[in-house]
Amino acid sequence: MTESLLAVRGLSKHFVSGNETVPVIEKLSFTMGEGQSLALTGRSGSGKSTLLNLLCGLESPDAGTIVMQGQVFEAGGAAARKKAAAWASLRRQQIGVVFQEANLMPALTLLENVRFRAQLAGRDPANSEDWLTRLDIGDLARRYPDQVSGGQRQRAALAMVFAMEPALMLADEPTGSLDRQTAAEVAQVLFDLQARHGCSLILATHDVELAAGCQQLLDLGHLSAV
Amino acid sequence: MKRRISFSSSLPIPRALLSHYRRHPLQLLALATMIVLATMLWTGVNQLTSQARASLEQSEQAVAERQQVVRDDGHALMVEDFVSLRLAGVCVMPWLEVTPDSGSRIIGVDPLAAHCFGTGASEALDQPLDGKPFVDMSSAADTPARESRFYLLTPDSTQASDLPNGYHLRTFATGPETGELGDSFLLNLEALGVLVLLITALLLRSVYLLGLAQRRDGFALLHRFGVLPGQVQRWLVVEIIALTLICVVPGVWLGRWLAAGLGGGFGQALDGLFDIPLYAGHGQGWITPVLVMLAVVVIACLGDLLLLRFRERLSLSVPKRLGLATALFMAGLVMAWLAPSLLWVFVAVALVFAGAGWLTPVTVTRFANWRADQSKAPLARWRYRELAVLARRLTLPLVALQFALAMVLAIQALVTTFENTFDRWLGQRLEAAYYIEVPAGADSRKAADWLTGHKASNPGMQWHQVIRGSTRMADKAAASSQQVDIYALAPISSLITGWGLLEAEDHPWEALAGNKGVMINEQLARRQKLGVGDTLQLVLDEQTRDMRILGVYPDYGRPVGEVLLNAEALPDNFNARSESFSITPGELGIGPVTDGLKRIWSVETLSMRDNSTIRELATGVFDQTFALTRAMTLLTLILAASALLMMGWVFFTTRAWYFRLLVVWGMSQQEVAGQLLRLALALTGGIALLALPLGIWLTWVLVHRINPLAFGWSLPMAVYPAFWLELGALSLAIGLSIAALMRRQLGKPSVAPVSASALTGGER
Repeated sequence: MTESLLAVRGLSKHFVSGNETVPVIEKLSFTMGEGQSLALTGRSGSGKSTLLNLLCGLESPDAGTIVMQGQVFEAGGAAARKKAAAWASLRRQQIGVVFQEANLMPALTLLENVRFRAQLAGRDPANSEDWLTRLDIGDLARRYPDQVSGGQRQRAALAMVFAMEPALMLADEPTGSLDRQTAAEVAQVLFDLQARHGCSLILATHDVELAAGCQQLLDLGHLSAV
Repeated sequence: MKRRISFSSSLPIPRALLSHYRRHPLQLLALATMIVLATMLWTGVNQLTSQARASLEQSEQAVAERQQVVRDDGHALMVEDFVSLRLAGVCVMPWLEVTPDSGSRIIGVDPLAAHCFGTGASEALDQPLDGKPFVDMSSAADTPARESRFYLLTPDSTQASDLPNGYHLRTFATGPETGELGDSFLLNLEALGVLVLLITALLLRSVYLLGLAQRRDGFALLHRFGVLPGQVQRWLVVEIIALTLICVVPGVWLGRWLAAGLGGGFGQALDGLFDIPLYAGHGQGWITPVLVMLAVVVIACLGDLLLLRFRERLSLSVPKRLGLATALFMAGLVMAWLAPSLLWVFVAVALVFAGAGWLTPVTVTRFANWRADQSKAPLARWRYRELAVLARRLTLPLVALQFALAMVLAIQALVTTFENTFDRWLGQRLEAAYYIEVPAGADSRKAADWLTGHKASNPGMQWHQVIRGSTRMADKAAASSQQVDIYALAPISSLITGWGLLEAEDHPWEALAGNKGVMINEQLARRQKLGVGDTLQLVLDEQTRDMRILGVYPDYGRPVGEVLLNAEALPDNFNARSESFSITPGELGIGPVTDGLKRIWSVETLSMRDNSTIRELATGVFDQTFALTRAMTLLTLILAASALLMMGWVFFTTRAWYFRLLVVWGMSQQEVAGQLLRLALALTGGIALLALPLGIWLTWVLVHRINPLAFGWSLPMAVYPAFWLELGALSLAIGLSIAALMRRQLGKPSVAPVSASALTGGER
């Protein structure tokens, strides 16, 4: 049995819209082992992106606890700054995040972006170009993000994440802006690398086929874990 | 068949165009605010300059040196004298100066009598100058006064032979001449006005183009719906003209209000100088500033649209543009050095600014990219790459800030130089405590002997006699340009040996005292290309005399050439225009001196000026003008800084997603804020650094090129590093403000851009 990387217990989050309080996530609990993959599905507004943000500390929960690599983050309470610093350290070295678009710094080349991310994580940036090659965009290493296609940008984003050797990868609709064929290629690369390097993956998506590639599925629309 | 779209069917277009501002009202507000502020600033500067010029001209008219009629017997003039002179057909105007028990001096005149002076003085006196100081003669006479003086003024055209027996002519002056120093300063103020116009145009353009860029998607959509680009452009022209007309009017009103507030002080200072309120508070009307600003806004905002047909032909590749910018810049520098006339100097300044405006963003971008390539640290590399993007994205407000900083630097140096020069020059010219005119027909030698005798027993006493007149230079055919003023002194006292000289041989004052040569003013030296050691040929007593030039002195008060010489060099029959004594009485006091001179010259009154009062008053007017100029340049800087702040904020808003990526990648908000702070400081600090050489060059142009070409004399070139530091601190403060706004932006959740296009901040 795999060792637990992440445990979520009684997690709740709501937003305030005007005078109305809108619950987004209510009393969610699940655990995830190292090297596992989990797909988050659900209709728009069901809280997929919010959950990803909670799981990397970009947003704070209203209730519940998140245990990440043994570090316990409880909702509320004091020491907010300390918690923020701990989350920042995790994001820097252990959690890689991929969004639907705009994952790269526009002023840096693809190679500089990968190096930048690796160095931020404290990893050796020497392999950066190899990562781009492995993702079939080695010949575009010195191009800027606006000089390559959307699919190539997403490949570069994946190269950035793998260059930092994360324990957990959070991907928010990573193929959402791509055409069907490119999306399939990027998804293939994503799962291959995740499996080969043993990092865990949480993937938020509308795409049923993409979700099917994960070992577990959490449908936030029905708040039920499968 | 070509489809025609009628006016009514095109009305949805403006509605669609304006819908952008309904969604983004702050953009409209920013553009409107910028037009109002720019109009206010330029109107203010322009209004103040024209007021200052009008005030000085009016002052000069009112207090210009004129003639007065005095009695041969030295007795005070009475009303009977006025009657007898008018009966004899002499044009005279009564002038009654009354110093009331409290308040400023007032002057009683008879406006009817003033009309025989013709235009000029009578116009100046006819103007309703706040009801003061020129009041009706009877009102002045009825005013309880602690002192009053009655004069009869007569036009310059009156000859001594026109006067009946018992009267003669004497000069009449009510104040010191500010000379060309004032004109020079006003010329520079006008140049400042043009520069302010350029800066405001740049700022307007930057704000407008930013708005336009954010509406580009909307234009593309309209294009897809079949709307011709020309139609959109026409509506954009209508839109900006309507907005300008709405905003320019309050802008002009605010500018006039600003000028009135600041200019009130200027008027009061003029009161101080001439002891009379002479503030010409009318300035320009409304039409000129409204039309000028309308033209500026339309050209700045719509220049591209108007030149659309030529744009492709005019557009250049980056290397060609860079080459052109460098060529313009270099040509401007060379032209400023060699320009034969003022016009060419202004063209040169325009070329240098155009070149600098193009080169600055490119320089910053290239430097930043070079530093990025050199950097090993990932964050430093990222920061320099971002700096390069910033420099390109914020080109217009950055260049406007650079120009504003350069202008402030130059104006500050100019103002301080003017202040120092004026103080020193006034101090030299008014070195003596008192200035006493020698009455017509009086023997100045007796007075000189008397003063020599008293100087021996009063060591603190200093004096010299001044003889003024004119002659001509001998080496060329008679022409007005060869006329030179004579400024003869005897003895060469310590009242003059403190004068600063532009160039001189060893021990020049001793040589002058020994009558071994002469000194000339800067104007004469420049015009005739004369220098120390050269020989000047002067015609004195119909004989040509060779005189060696011992030194060249600065002289800011007169346009003509002047020769300073020992009075012993003058022939006995030299036709002196005026004779006077400059006296510092020391412990003896002025009372015994005036009593002694009255006795020697057998007169009841002396024409005497207290130089310390004049110096105080003259300094007052310039201090006020300088303060006002500084205030206006500071306002320009604040406007440029606000525009950069606004643009910086908008830029960072569009790029917030990418800065937030750093947080996603594990940097704390404090760390990211620190990086953004360094970025903003590098940007504004870099611009301040690039503004420095431009400002120093502009200072040099103002004092060493414009002044000599306009007036024949130059001001000393001085730089003020302490002020550079102040400007540097100000630039960093602007950077800090931008960073503070960015930090605030960083705390807010940002939306992922839908594409990596330029409109969403994803450009490189």
